[in-house]
Amino acid sequence: MRRLLIFSVLICLAVVAFSLPADAAKKPIVIGFPMWLSGGGGLFGQPSAKGAEMFVQEVNERGGVLGRPVKLLVRDCKGTPEEATRVSKELILKDNVDFLVGGLSASQGLAISEVAKTEKVLYIAPISKSTRMCEPPRLHPYVFRAAANTNTEGRSAAVFMAKHPWKRIATIGPDYEYGQMCTQAFVDWIKKLKPEVEIVHQGWPKLGETDYTPYIAPCLAAKPDACFISLWGGHFVTFAKQAKPYGFFEKVKVVAAGEGGSPETAMALKDDLPLGITTNAYDVFYYPDTPEHKDYCERLKKFTGEKYAPSWAITGYVATQWLIEGIEKAGSTDTMKVIKALEGLTIQTPIGKQTMRAKDHQATRGQVWGTTAKVPEYPFPIMRPVEYIPAEDLMD
Amino acid sequence: MTLPDPSFLVIQCLNGLTYAMFLFLIASGLSLIFGVLGILNFAHGSLYMLGAYFTHQLVSLFVDTPGQFWWAVIFGSLAVAAIGVIIERFFLRPLYVREELNQLLFTYALVLIFSDFARIIWGTDQFSVSRPAILKGAVDILGQYFPKYNIVIILLGPCIAFLFWFILLHTRWGRMIRAAALDREMLGSLGVNVSRLFTVVFFVGAWMAGLGGALVSPVSAIVPGMDVEVIVNAFIVVVIGGLGSFWGTFLGALIVGQVYALGILVFPRLSLVFIYVLMALVLIIRPWGLLGRPLQKR
Repeated sequence: MRRLLIFSVLICLAVVAFSLPADAAKKPIVIGFPMWLSGGGGLFGQPSAKGAEMFVQEVNERGGVLGRPVKLLVRDCKGTPEEATRVSKELILKDNVDFLVGGLSASQGLAISEVAKTEKVLYIAPISKSTRMCEPPRLHPYVFRAAANTNTEGRSAAVFMAKHPWKRIATIGPDYEYGQMCTQAFVDWIKKLKPEVEIVHQGWPKLGETDYTPYIAPCLAAKPDACFISLWGGHFVTFAKQAKPYGFFEKVKVVAAGEGGSPETAMALKDDLPLGITTNAYDVFYYPDTPEHKDYCERLKKFTGEKYAPSWAITGYVATQWLIEGIEKAGSTDTMKVIKALEGLTIQTPIGKQTMRAKDHQATRGQVWGTTAKVPEYPFPIMRPVEYIPAEDLMD
Repeated sequence: MTLPDPSFLVIQCLNGLTYAMFLFLIASGLSLIFGVLGILNFAHGSLYMLGAYFTHQLVSLFVDTPGQFWWAVIFGSLAVAAIGVIIERFFLRPLYVREELNQLLFTYALVLIFSDFARIIWGTDQFSVSRPAILKGAVDILGQYFPKYNIVIILLGPCIAFLFWFILLHTRWGRMIRAAALDREMLGSLGVNVSRLFTVVFFVGAWMAGLGGALVSPVSAIVPGMDVEVIVNAFIVVVIGGLGSFWGTFLGALIVGQVYALGILVFPRLSLVFIYVLMALVLIIRPWGLLGRPLQKR
């Protein structure tokens, strides 16, 4: 009896063992995509998820990767790191995802990175910018960043500011990971470039503030020549609308990091978007004029059914592209092999070549910077002139 | 540190005053309902949120009507008041005889229901409403700009406060409301229709919350989660001023508004802390609030 039992268990195990590889060949590769889809972050989180969905659809249409289809599970992780932790844990434990891509705010990136470390799941951050995520002691083998980081962002703003004769400089940034790191990078870099600069005021509204008016008068009171603002997405929209009647944009030159120049922001603000401010974006559908980028924008327009290709889609698109090309190069979905494959990998993205640095798992991602202007072609302001500021020179 | 130019101090005080007027509108409704019905209405913030969303919806509906914003404010806030009446008549009424805990749980459930309701209807995007055309610009105050719309709000606050004070003190309805706050059984035995009175009070309270939300829509972002944020601040106001006290609410709102605005000017990173410290101090020294009365055993 006992022997029979052992025998049948062995048979069962053998059956399972033999059926696994056959099954695995068709089993989809599952990517968990926690993203901030609601509230002030939704303006950017939703297109980002769309970009990832489009890339995954394109991969599946050409037969998947390693002969396996790819499945993307998009989940709303709201605005907090706690929620990001909960959602990504659920994706790993309940939905058995193989990889994680996602998270929006800098603190969400750090939170998901912690989950990736403890659960030993490869994680690619498409948007989260805090430099600390890819620096010791936070850096670990399982985390990669496709996004630019706060150093690149703050420092490119500083490079721009240093070209002008502005001495008294103020900063306004959301009081959390991203705002603090970005502002710090800006302040350190501009002091290095131009030691005579004086930081006359620093405003710290909380993340998700709905009323910025109490922060506007104190900033003006310090009489700055220029102000560095790192409010992003819907937060910048709210700020711009509220600051306008105070004459803020007439009295102070504004350099705004946090994607004030993305068409999403411009469409949301229309005539309320202050003109002549310097700002940035991850991608804009009207630049650069390369065939790959044009083709990408056309595909995206078709996929989303929107009149203008959303700019933030690039974040989800490229982050998923890193993962898939990593898997392809590794020839396996084994986490450690994909990690090895990603280190030092160079890929051709719709906005040009990018390299994943082996030393800190940070992609060489720059940003598009420009000055807002009204043009006859579009019913909302765009950035003109506009240029891509590469990240290589600004990275440590 | 160097003191800023006095003109900025004035502007910042005015900013604080604008904020205070919104807080007053919302907190006075909360305080009124508690004073008369004895119910601490957690869903008051949700009514405020609905006011803002309704206004946004109506403004886009009345696009070609002159004075669209004001119509939206009137109809939006009245719609909220109507929802308030439905809540009171059909759901709260059976709960008056129950324990307070049941009532609290019920109003808390309403918070969750309304927040999901708003998410289903309006999604999770953030909205904003443009200021009405005549109030779009700014006025020059000591060389600084200050939005015209905010000035109207600052003037509106005391008007509403005065109106309510007058109604409460000098009309028959006001006397009945005050009597109901003191002893509802006695009032009922004197032949007053107490349940109708309760409905009217809840209508007015909900209407004020809706009005607060409607009027705040051009100066603040309309987002899911604004309900919880405002209810916390409204509670702070009534705790400082005294729950159930009308002028206490007014004072509490003024104090919170100014502490918040001037706090940002002095210690930008600690502005939120000041308000909580203030509340804690009031709770330690005068637990019944600055102008409230100590709770008596009924």
